[in-house]
Amino acid sequence: MIRAARGEWTKLRTLVSTAWLLLALAAFTAGLSALGAWSLDGRGCTGPADCDPDLTRFSLIGVYAGQVAALVLGALAATAEYATGTIHPTLMANPRRPIVLAAKATVVTGLVLGAGLLGVLGSVLAGRFLLPGKGFTPAHGYPLLSLTDGLTLRAAAGTVLYLALIALFALGAGLALRDTATTLTTVLALLFVAPMVAPFLSDPAWQRHLAQVVPTAGLAVQTTKRLAELPIAPWAGLGVLAAWAAAALVAGTARFLLRDA
Amino acid sequence: MSALRGEWAKFRSVRTTAFCLVLAAGMMVLFSALLAFGSTIDDPCPCNVDQAEFLHRPLAGDGTIVARVASQEATGPWAKAGIMMKESAEEGSPYAALMVTPGHGVHLQANFTTDIAGSSGPAPRWLKLTRAGATITGFESSDGTTWQQVGAVSLALPRMVRTGLFANSPTTKTRTIRHAGSTTTGPEYRTSTATFDRVGFEPAQPGSWTATTIGAPRAVDDTLVQGTATEAGGVFTVTGAGDVFRLVNGGDNDMLPQMLGGVLVALIALVPLGVVFITSEYARGTIRTTFTVSPRRGRVLAAKAVVLGAAAFAAGLVATVVSFYLTYPILHGNGYKAPSYPQPSLWTPLSLRAVLGTALVMAIVAVLSLGIGTLVRRTAAAVTVVIAVVVLPRIIGAFLPVPVELWINRITPLAGLSIQQTRDRFDYAIGPWPGLAVLCAWAAAALALAWWSLRRRDA
Repeated sequence: MIRAARGEWTKLRTLVSTAWLLLALAAFTAGLSALGAWSLDGRGCTGPADCDPDLTRFSLIGVYAGQVAALVLGALAATAEYATGTIHPTLMANPRRPIVLAAKATVVTGLVLGAGLLGVLGSVLAGRFLLPGKGFTPAHGYPLLSLTDGLTLRAAAGTVLYLALIALFALGAGLALRDTATTLTTVLALLFVAPMVAPFLSDPAWQRHLAQVVPTAGLAVQTTKRLAELPIAPWAGLGVLAAWAAAALVAGTARFLLRDA
Repeated sequence: MSALRGEWAKFRSVRTTAFCLVLAAGMMVLFSALLAFGSTIDDPCPCNVDQAEFLHRPLAGDGTIVARVASQEATGPWAKAGIMMKESAEEGSPYAALMVTPGHGVHLQANFTTDIAGSSGPAPRWLKLTRAGATITGFESSDGTTWQQVGAVSLALPRMVRTGLFANSPTTKTRTIRHAGSTTTGPEYRTSTATFDRVGFEPAQPGSWTATTIGAPRAVDDTLVQGTATEAGGVFTVTGAGDVFRLVNGGDNDMLPQMLGGVLVALIALVPLGVVFITSEYARGTIRTTFTVSPRRGRVLAAKAVVLGAAAFAAGLVATVVSFYLTYPILHGNGYKAPSYPQPSLWTPLSLRAVLGTALVMAIVAVLSLGIGTLVRRTAAAVTVVIAVVVLPRIIGAFLPVPVELWINRITPLAGLSIQQTRDRFDYAIGPWPGLAVLCAWAAAALALAWWSLRRRDA
């Protein structure tokens, strides 16, 4: 297992795209989050009773861009080997396919957790330093963004987990579909369906149902305000994404174990 | 021609092609139907909007009211200030009103349907309404001595009516309340104040003044906008918001973007189609064969763009037409009914523009993907870039402040979807044709860069 993981690590490390994707993952997450925090304007606000935006969530908005890098990384970990044909030597060197699979999943998860952690920490820092300049100061009743706050910590940690689960979801889909373009299309479509389509649903009940079942339900974990209004509870939402990832991995594993490479 | 035929043969034989085209068309129809199922609307009628601050007193039988609108706050071209005879102070009751407006001069309006234009003069202006039997006649004057008839309307009113002064101001702006992730947008009402003097009745009537806010408009934050009316030394000050008119089309929901909303999902399937059309040639090395066979690389790119665009347009057109016919019955069952929401005919310019335009947007997005694929050359990277440029801005925009979101919807490629608009709504970021032009500019820029890169770089 260690040997297999080291092999997978070498393969991913030597792909030029991996470094770029990890960099993009961290940079997009932090950069867009900073933009999100910067775009808020609270200078007209007298206090939380007057306007009470979910500052934590706005400060983590970059995950929408970061997840694209995470899922491309996950998908490529599976499909790149099929595109170039290196899957054959991989399986020749290590014929025990479950081990290969576990090694791939472990390496992808580790890399995305690391880059995601950097991106999320950058986002929280950006929020902490940018928001006071936008009128959200402790003097007005908006405490500085801090990981010592339980809800913010949950949001930050949950966002890192979210990114890792997205990568695993894409890895599973990649193993099941084997083609880069097809995999990316399918995963992206599933991820973006809810946010793109929801504004057109005028029936709130439908909006809630949609938000409860799609993979992006996992982002509920970012919420720190008005938790009662959420369509799905924070950890339950992450559970929905985990279920998607598990389903994709099961399908991918089945194809990987049962079919010719 | 041979380049076209060659590209078509390649396009046809790539495994992903059929998958993506069918997926795009299927997604479009499926999600349009799903959206229709999820879109319900309350019956928009009663279709008469009746909102004004009305300072009134009783009038029995025939009679005349005269007043001079001394001043009017110009809160918008259709702010109204004037005199009115109305069956009662109840919202929606029959009326005849003679008014001045800051932008459209004098109008005589009755019963939500009749509208007769008078002179173009704004306040100050004298107005006079005379009731004789079932006929109410409006006059205007600039000096109170020489009167011109604006028009006469025939209106069945009871013997006892309410008559007096009114003011209102239609909404011209919107206001959006945004909580994290969800927004409520609605009209922002601003009151307009008008002052009246030289108010007189003929014959003199007993009774006293009563102020009523008819149909107080409801603001976005769910408060009612109340007007005021006061009198001091013969000068009447009336402040009100809202408008009096018939909703010609009921609500102002734009049905077409809703009926064709699945296109957003379909686009996600068209992106890889366009990208793979070129990147697969780089991945397999067939690009070198292609360029050996037809060395003029610009022509190869053009042939690819034509084949891809035509295929995406054809698949898109089938999907949009199917969505168009499939979704109306669903929307109809959810409350989208005539007269406000009649079944749209495909053969009207607006519907055709929306339907053909949507297919065109699908084709152009595919071509844009081809351009970026040619630039980037690698499938995963190119798909990521296109998704980041085309799809992400709209999703992220929904979380940003409204002016930022409007700008995003103006300048990013999906501005092209404005071609689906069939009404002029306050919350639209950009008009149909300018929006499509923005998308075309993106595609043209991508193709130009791709062409330049093809010429400069080794294959």
